[in-house]
Amino acid sequence: MKKAIFPLLAAVIIMISAFTFFQSVDWKISSGYSVKFDGGDPKGEFTGLKGTILFDANNLAASKFDCTIDVGTINTGNGMQNTHAKSDKWLDAAKYPVIRFTSKTINKTATGYEAVGTLDFHGVQKEITLPFTFVNNVFAGAFEVNRMDYNINKEEPKHGASVIKITLNVPVTK
Amino acid sequence: MAALAAIIYNRIHIFATEADFSAVVNTASIISLNLIACLIISIAYYFFTRFAKGSKIILFHILLAVLSFAAVVVPISISLPLTVKNPELFPGLAVPMIFFPALAWFTFKPLFKFDE
Repeated sequence: MKKAIFPLLAAVIIMISAFTFFQSVDWKISSGYSVKFDGGDPKGEFTGLKGTILFDANNLAASKFDCTIDVGTINTGNGMQNTHAKSDKWLDAAKYPVIRFTSKTINKTATGYEAVGTLDFHGVQKEITLPFTFVNNVFAGAFEVNRMDYNINKEEPKHGASVIKITLNVPVTK
Repeated sequence: MAALAAIIYNRIHIFATEADFSAVVNTASIISLNLIACLIISIAYYFFTRFAKGSKIILFHILLAVLSFAAVVVPISISLPLTVKNPELFPGLAVPMIFFPALAWFTFKPLFKFDE
């Protein structure tokens, strides 16, 4: 019986260490984050960012983003425009309540990192590359989205901007 | 008096909705905007009475009412700073305030004697 204790102890230690490693890369989104979009007209922000961020600069293979943005939290600074943006003519918040990004791979680049994954937006899944940096526990990145690719008010291509720049600034804690 | 009414209405609006628009609508901005609006109305009235006398003054009142009504589009279409939450409640605060200078003018003008 005594002989079995040491292998059992070793197994437990290995299991705990594996769990500790997993915990070390699990980041929590802090308050004070910003998800801004700018197409000239419209521009504004989303305030409903949630998700799982697993990131370790030394282990990118184990890193993963799975984040959602609540479409209903859009804020352009104008109440009428907010209502308009959430309507079925544009983002259709009732039918597509969240925008989801799920990364497949995260790679190191010359300027930082890039996450390649699927953006599920307005019922359309499309692969995008999200370049970002991670400095002082803050994820920062920007990418462009063409609303035509996601079937957002395709009937009026000249009504507002087609290409929207999305800028992320997400402080995190362990 | 328009500024006083607007300040009171601002307090009521805060109490009723708990929406904070102090970044764009506060006591200082309310007083200054109402002073400017009433000053413009007074100057416009002065020049209007130079050219129109008697019953034609009603044209000034109609114009004042129409312009006040047209100004409603300003708080509805304006984009507030993103730090201001619940912008959809902003027209409920600002739209009634738009009419306060004209309301004050119509209320208190009879107290003053003009050579019309």
